[in-house]
Amino acid sequence: MSSSTKEIENLINQDYKQGFVTELEVETFPPGLDEEVIAKLSKIKNEPSFMLEYRLKAFRHWQTMKEPDWAQLNIEAIDYQSISYYSAPKKKGDGPQSLDEVDPELLETYKKLGIPLDEQERLAGVAVDAVFDSVSVATTFKGKLKDAGVIFCPISEALQEYPELVKKYLGTVVTETDNFFASLNAAVFTDGSFVYIPKGVRCPMELSTYFRINAANTGQFERTLIIADAGSHVSYLEGCTAPMRDENQLHAAVVELVIMDDAEIKYSTVQNWYPGDENGVGGIYNFVTKRAECRGHNAKVSWTQVETGSAITWKYPSCVLLGDNSTGEFYSVALTNNYQQADTGTKMIHIGKNTSSTIISKGISAGKAQNTYRGLVKVGKGAENARNFTQCDSLLVGDKCGAHTFPYIEVKQPSAQVEHEATTSKISEDQLFFCQQRGLSAEDAVSMIVNGFCKEVFKELPMEFAVEAQALLGISLEGSVG
Amino acid sequence: MSGLQNYKVDYQQILPDLPGQSLAWLQQIRSDAFSAFSDTGFPSLREEEWRYTNISAIEKKLFSPSTNVGSNEIDQAWLDDFCLKDAYTLVIINGRFSKAHSSLKGLPETVTILSMGDALQQKPELVEKYLSKAVANEEHSFVAFNSAWFSDGLFVHLPAQQVLDKPVQLIHLVTKADCLAVSRNILIVEDRAQAEVIETFVGDSNAYLTASVTEIFVENNADLTLYKMQNEGDKAYHFGGTYVKQAKHSRFKHHNFAFGSLLARNDVHTDLDVASECNLNGLYIGVKRQHIDNHTRIKHIQPHAISKEMYKGILNQRAKGVFQGLVFVAENAQKTDSAMNNRNLLLSNDAEADAKPQLEIYADDVKCAHGVTVGQLDEKSIFYLKSRAIDEETARNMLTFAFANEMVGKVDNKELHTMLLAQLLQRFSQKSVDEKWL
Repeated sequence: MSSSTKEIENLINQDYKQGFVTELEVETFPPGLDEEVIAKLSKIKNEPSFMLEYRLKAFRHWQTMKEPDWAQLNIEAIDYQSISYYSAPKKKGDGPQSLDEVDPELLETYKKLGIPLDEQERLAGVAVDAVFDSVSVATTFKGKLKDAGVIFCPISEALQEYPELVKKYLGTVVTETDNFFASLNAAVFTDGSFVYIPKGVRCPMELSTYFRINAANTGQFERTLIIADAGSHVSYLEGCTAPMRDENQLHAAVVELVIMDDAEIKYSTVQNWYPGDENGVGGIYNFVTKRAECRGHNAKVSWTQVETGSAITWKYPSCVLLGDNSTGEFYSVALTNNYQQADTGTKMIHIGKNTSSTIISKGISAGKAQNTYRGLVKVGKGAENARNFTQCDSLLVGDKCGAHTFPYIEVKQPSAQVEHEATTSKISEDQLFFCQQRGLSAEDAVSMIVNGFCKEVFKELPMEFAVEAQALLGISLEGSVG
Repeated sequence: MSGLQNYKVDYQQILPDLPGQSLAWLQQIRSDAFSAFSDTGFPSLREEEWRYTNISAIEKKLFSPSTNVGSNEIDQAWLDDFCLKDAYTLVIINGRFSKAHSSLKGLPETVTILSMGDALQQKPELVEKYLSKAVANEEHSFVAFNSAWFSDGLFVHLPAQQVLDKPVQLIHLVTKADCLAVSRNILIVEDRAQAEVIETFVGDSNAYLTASVTEIFVENNADLTLYKMQNEGDKAYHFGGTYVKQAKHSRFKHHNFAFGSLLARNDVHTDLDVASECNLNGLYIGVKRQHIDNHTRIKHIQPHAISKEMYKGILNQRAKGVFQGLVFVAENAQKTDSAMNNRNLLLSNDAEADAKPQLEIYADDVKCAHGVTVGQLDEKSIFYLKSRAIDEETARNMLTFAFANEMVGKVDNKELHTMLLAQLLQRFSQKSVDEKWL
């Protein structure tokens, strides 16, 4: 091993800084899943009756399904009966009406995570919905958003206040029978964010949801539904962390995006669930179904993700390009270290005419990690002049890790133009030497090269997130220079 | 009775006619293969490696092997279009070796070129050493099917340091309706030896099934170039598998031309040892309802190996082209240099191209790249030609021809090059593409 290899390793092996546990009084269901649990869940949430039916339908279907095993992942069997499907901080009375009523312990937690929920303290205009285990604990800037006509609230609240709207869209992009984890989510999801941007409205600020798993032996199942009506625009950010524990915890989320004529959704994720320790013990199992449907003409959706956490990531944010001239984008940085495994990518389904899509995927694999890009580009018969460009690059740090690329390309339209490129390489000694010879330390050099490798993706992130992502990459890479 | 059942019953009847009855080890291989095949039947769409190719038609219809070469007169003039003049030729008709059509004149004594049937009689130990060693029945059930059913094939053995003066050509011809022609070929090129082999598959307009498996052993520093010309009849089903084991510093070049058949599936798999090199080239041209599936797998098992791959497809009318390629780099295969490319030209609204170029990499000091494109002819190039007073149709034909000719141009064997070029030119009107321009 060259000296620079050690430097990279040092850079990669940094501690997980969000690994603390918050001591709170919580209400938790005993482990186990059956129809009764689902009924109880629905009742606690005081949901309209159609939701219970929807959940039970999903649950019944889920029972007939098998876990998918096609991914390049090594997963220990998950016992779905040993997980508790509901855990929430104990409420005082009817739940907080304003931030003043939120448990200070909770506010402290978010402060520690760098997410101040106190509106006065908030510098930039970002509205935050904070989801703690199974429930949303606070949503900021509600009033200001309401003035603009934007609905931004926990999905459980949306079910109370706008049941018709939720009913109209929920499960239309990702149906309750879509896949194993989506069905499970449909049956047991507890909270998440709901966003509705009315016609012609440009959301006055960035919306953000911060997911935090705190309780042990629970799973987090959140559901996000975003509807951008004709001519509207919204930028949405999502962040996640969890405490350090020796047990694996399950996170199975579903995100649905609906984009109408001329509307645009920009969805950014910085995923930093606890990845497990350096021996691969513990960590979050992250199984996420994310899909956007461009239903209108000229609709645009852009997924940007920075995946540094989770022991296992199974995630394929997809774009269904139904409307003519619609655009789908996918920018991804996936970093795996130690024993982390990631199988992630995207699906671009071209159905409308003149649809275009771009995929930029950067995978970085270090330690003993396995990092897989898996993607599908499908051009249907009617998708005249469809255009796709795909680039997926992998960077290997160390000789014990793996980087894999499994793209699927299916084209049924002659006027379509589809390009796919992929490369796999390591940080070359020459690059390192060049930087060091100009006075940079090996660690800085690697950090710089890796950041350069990811730049195409980072530039798509909103400002605050880009800074966070770069810092995160440095932390995750710490101690692995080579 | 299900289709699969028909094959099983039929097998018991034809088994006594298959070569190598007296060899216990071969009977064992056959019976193992038969039970492996019986368990699963032909590969289905549910299998990841077969997801784009539906071969249920083969199972529904019963193709049955021929016990002899058949009494049909072979039109020599027609056959001459595919035969090289300057080569050692071995002809298999309807799955059986035809001595009358073969010619091995002037073959050096040290070199063995035999039909598989003869090899099993004359050199059974040598066959035993290599049969089923480059590919296992577990690969997929078509391989198992081949191991159980094969009725003949080509056996070539080149001793160390032997450089063969002329290419070896295997002509695989089918002239009978509903015929099942299953051949198993073994090519062994010992240390520092060098050879050129051409596999040609032709047939008439009947529906029939060819299932051919070629096992290749390229030993240390040896060099083998293999050409495959697949010109099966337009109702034919074709399965062709080429499985290669490359030893240290060996070189293997494969040129794969898939022009014929209704449904074709082609496997090219190679395992690379230290500093060996492989070059896989392919051209597939599909028209009407043709379905052509190319499956390649390059395994870098040891360091310093090089693999280069280029597959090009032209798909017109309702044709469907599939490219599935995998480059696998094992943990200690450092300094691997690999490039995989697939280019598809879609010329009609009903044509389809599916591609799955995969990289699976477990070593860090490697250079691996892959690229895929699916598209149509470049409008700017067409405009350029039109501005030079060339009509649109001619311009399109010229560009399409040039796209394909790149692969034909890689053929070093002069006689074969002329033959392939003629076949390619046939597809274009004389006006559009003139041989004299070349």
